[in-house]
Amino acid sequence: MTVSTADIVSAGNSGPLYWRPSLGRIAARILVYGVPTLLILVPLLSFLTYSFLEMKDNQVTGQPTLSNYAGFFQSGSYLYVFFGTVKLAFIVAAVALILGYIISYLIWRLEGSVRYLLLLLSALPLVMNYVVKIYAMRSILGFNGFLNSFLLAAGIIDAPSKLFIFNQTAVMLTMAVIYLPFGILPIFLALERIPQSLLSAAADLGAKPGQIFLSVVLPLSLPGSIAGGLFVMVIALGDYLTPQMVGGSEGFTFGRAIWSQFGMAFNWPFGAALAVVLLVTVIALIGLASFILRNARMQ
Amino acid sequence: MTRLERLTIGLLWIIGGLTFAILYAPALIVILLSFFGLKNHQIDWSTFSLEWYGRLADNSQLLSALYNSIVVGICAVVSATIISLALAYYMKTGVRRGRAYVEFIIFLPFVLPAIITGISLLVAFREIGLERSLITVTIGHIVLILAVVYRMVTIRLDTLENSQIEASLDLGANGLETFLYVVLPQLRSALLTSSLLAFALSFDETLVTFFLVGGETTLPMRLWAMMRTGFTPEINALVSIVLCVTLLFAALGAMSLRESIERKP
Repeated sequence: MTVSTADIVSAGNSGPLYWRPSLGRIAARILVYGVPTLLILVPLLSFLTYSFLEMKDNQVTGQPTLSNYAGFFQSGSYLYVFFGTVKLAFIVAAVALILGYIISYLIWRLEGSVRYLLLLLSALPLVMNYVVKIYAMRSILGFNGFLNSFLLAAGIIDAPSKLFIFNQTAVMLTMAVIYLPFGILPIFLALERIPQSLLSAAADLGAKPGQIFLSVVLPLSLPGSIAGGLFVMVIALGDYLTPQMVGGSEGFTFGRAIWSQFGMAFNWPFGAALAVVLLVTVIALIGLASFILRNARMQ
Repeated sequence: MTRLERLTIGLLWIIGGLTFAILYAPALIVILLSFFGLKNHQIDWSTFSLEWYGRLADNSQLLSALYNSIVVGICAVVSATIISLALAYYMKTGVRRGRAYVEFIIFLPFVLPAIITGISLLVAFREIGLERSLITVTIGHIVLILAVVYRMVTIRLDTLENSQIEASLDLGANGLETFLYVVLPQLRSALLTSSLLAFALSFDETLVTFFLVGGETTLPMRLWAMMRTGFTPEINALVSIVLCVTLLFAALGAMSLRESIERKP
């Protein structure tokens, strides 16, 4: 550990002889801990509090209650939507994991500027406008959309199909396209962390490329990749605009349920309670991801 | 390589290529539609025109939304950069026990779904009686991009030798002078990269903004509103411009990021 001058100065200041309660120092400390707390922690806590408030005659009474949570756990339809959304997000994450792994692996094997270019190309869709991507996906998947035109022209179907729009499949396809880039980068980083010397050692010991992949690359990169997939699942769980836009009435998701409590029903405490359920699920997923990562590092 | 392995790799490239095509298909379609008309829901290649780009100048609603987005982005990036710089520099000098706490809080909005951050801020603003406006939107964006800017500034600050700061202090410079003349110049590329990235994030931010927006809207909100009533081709034109500009910004950011990565020993 290095001792900097600043440490010595501050150590000197805290001694009895030189102790001066510098106003600037205190102000700096309050700002440094206060600003993030005020901007992020306080809003989160106030939203948590809201989920325990009673709602009567469309007014928040301020009485603490658990009825918002009871409302969720006792209603079959909200539970159904919740588990449907978890399943949907899981599929999106699995698609991102599989396709993301293939792309990351191919880029990882490349050298030089092609590698850099492809990596950039896989990250660029992240900065394309989100609303526009949903809109374009709708014009691809729609009844008169490009996908149907293509399938008709290719002779695969005889009449335009409504299978791809305004249902869960549409939500899944759109989310998979939008969120795949979020999967590629963490998976690539997981591959990048494998020491090159291990691969050379395996090759020197006579392992074939396929064997190297199965017994060295895959086991070492899988934990990080799964963590990346879980990250995609977290984003997919909370999305409420994609399902709204391409899901129609069949593509109702938990995010939309929360949103409608704030936008249309104006039952904020109940909406907050639903959001807390989402929050707990997300924290569980993040916990799972960091558990996987920690176990992988210890081995 | 055996034949089987070559076949596998070839197959993987085909899957990868198709996936790339799908990733870029939405953007490609929007750009094509900004130049060509539709006939029977197919692109009519004979109708090339720049008409929709010309009409953009007349759409005051879109232009004011674009203007709002730029203003919000700049304000959010500047504020987030100042806050991040102050936090990162404070943590750098001396042993700071609160570092883990501050970093945990800053990264929360980055990890949690946007809907949670949006609702939190909405509830908090209502409790303190702050009306929804561009100000609340800007605060929301600051909260979101803080993690990105802070992370990039800290990474660069961590590679900075403490001895430089000590030498400066020993030579009689005070904390502010040390920061301005020794630390800040070395952070330039990190600040540039993170500002570009943060601006791109703010410019595109939709999920949190939705909860915080008042009468005046940002571009994604405006696009969202128009999308529900039906897009006109001039939106494709605007969106194409926006796509190209953000791609340019991101490419610039990525290039300066590459420079700062390569400069490391």
